[in-house]
Amino acid sequence: MRVVVGRASEFANGDRRIVDVNGKSVGVFRVDDTFYAIRNRCPHQFGPLCVGALAPRAVSSGPGQFSMDPGVPLLACPWHGWEYDLATGQSFMGPGHGNVSARRYDVSVLPGTELESAEQSAGGAAPGPDGRVPGPYVAETVPVFIEEEYVVVED
Amino acid sequence: MSAIAHGAIDCDVHVEPESMAVLLPYLDPYWHEYIRGGRIGIGHRLYPASEALSARPEARAAGSFPPADYSTLRTQLLEPYEPRAVVLTCVASFQAGRNPYYETAITRAINDWMREEFLDRDDRLRGSVVVPTLHPEAAAEEIDRLGADRRFAQILLPVRSETPWGNVRYRAIHDAAARNHLPLALHPWGGVSMAPTTTGGAASYYEDYLYNSQIIAPAQMLSLVAEGVFERHPSLRVVLAELGFGWIPSLMWRYDKDWKALWRETPWVRDRPSVYIKKHFRATTSPTQIPRRVSELEVAQFAHMLGAWDFLMYSSDYPHDHGEDGSEKLLGVLGEDGREAVLRGNAAAFYEIETEPAGVTPPETDEEARR
Repeated sequence: MRVVVGRASEFANGDRRIVDVNGKSVGVFRVDDTFYAIRNRCPHQFGPLCVGALAPRAVSSGPGQFSMDPGVPLLACPWHGWEYDLATGQSFMGPGHGNVSARRYDVSVLPGTELESAEQSAGGAAPGPDGRVPGPYVAETVPVFIEEEYVVVED
Repeated sequence: MSAIAHGAIDCDVHVEPESMAVLLPYLDPYWHEYIRGGRIGIGHRLYPASEALSARPEARAAGSFPPADYSTLRTQLLEPYEPRAVVLTCVASFQAGRNPYYETAITRAINDWMREEFLDRDDRLRGSVVVPTLHPEAAAEEIDRLGADRRFAQILLPVRSETPWGNVRYRAIHDAAARNHLPLALHPWGGVSMAPTTTGGAASYYEDYLYNSQIIAPAQMLSLVAEGVFERHPSLRVVLAELGFGWIPSLMWRYDKDWKALWRETPWVRDRPSVYIKKHFRATTSPTQIPRRVSELEVAQFAHMLGAWDFLMYSSDYPHDHGEDGSEKLLGVLGEDGREAVLRGNAAAFYEIETEPAGVTPPETDEEARR
């Protein structure tokens, strides 16, 4: 089932909409020129994930040293703060040395589209781009693409 | 009161000069006048004689506590209990006032007194370096001055500080400790005007003593981990002396949990906080603070949560008296190897004290229990 969310031009950078897709609540996000869609249900305790804050990835080389990693942002659940990669749904712990046992997960490669993140395919247990360690949860991502200037999600 | 262990490595034994006159030879004449004019004594109210905590009955009967000289220490502790080694602590400078230069002078004098009065007289004795807490650069100089004398085993810091010890303003002390391969030892009490809680001071000694271990020590542990001190100095270690340890498992659990969501403020904290705590911290056993009625099973569960086999180092805290504090009960659940580790092995490894090696492997169930 395909659901048209709206015109792509209606999304400013950083905008989101929460829509009903085949009875499921799904959040659609624009970050820079990429659209992401993720189910509005945190796998931890089923909190409304998509009303949470987009959380930047911070990296540090030592105490007092801060910088930002330009990678895909994280979405933090408003209930307990679990953070998920918007593209893969993978949760992450703090920046780590691999101390947390990671669970393998599968991310489906999305259908060919113009703008969505098909190239960001299955990652497994590897640390994120900022060196963070995957956590135990994976949020459900939803295919999203642009069709004739409209943002479309599919379930 | 709990019995003093025989033949242990005792990681917290108090000594204190009998009077300021004993320290004058170690002080520049400028300070003789300062002390005389200000009527400054060595006395403080941290362990008042009126408090039961301050002295075990035998120390009280001997009339002198804490031991003020080597012969008293020998008579009261070394001869009857034959410790393999003793780490001496002197808290006499903890309330030295608000003058950072006087604090620098008096801590240096105490260190020199400890070296001549104790360390020069008995190979079993190890000293603690006291430092001026109001003058971190001078503290670093003092650590560098004594660091080469390996009879000094640690840097003794009052658990009460103007701002938590992990703060960047104390970086000179962190760096000096790491450079000299000396652990930091946090110990109850601290300076005048250093409020024990964020909401002020205590109305009673009862509250005030508990603040040390239950309120302030956890804050120091959080600070040292969160500020990234162990990322800057991966080899730096910290001793919690006379601060209990029953509070640590619940703190580790909550600290790990919140780190998952709040890590962004401290992105240099690259591991779960409990990983740093178990790797970098050790605690001395007195006071053990385990209630008498707690079942053996529960004590064993607690020991697993803490990782007591690796984490604890025996102390008598002589001459202080913590009553029947449960230390024997705790040792009883650790097994023979664990008992040996806590009484001798862990301290021997931690302080690099040469004695019989006591390699210890916790029971296999330990890892299970930690998960």
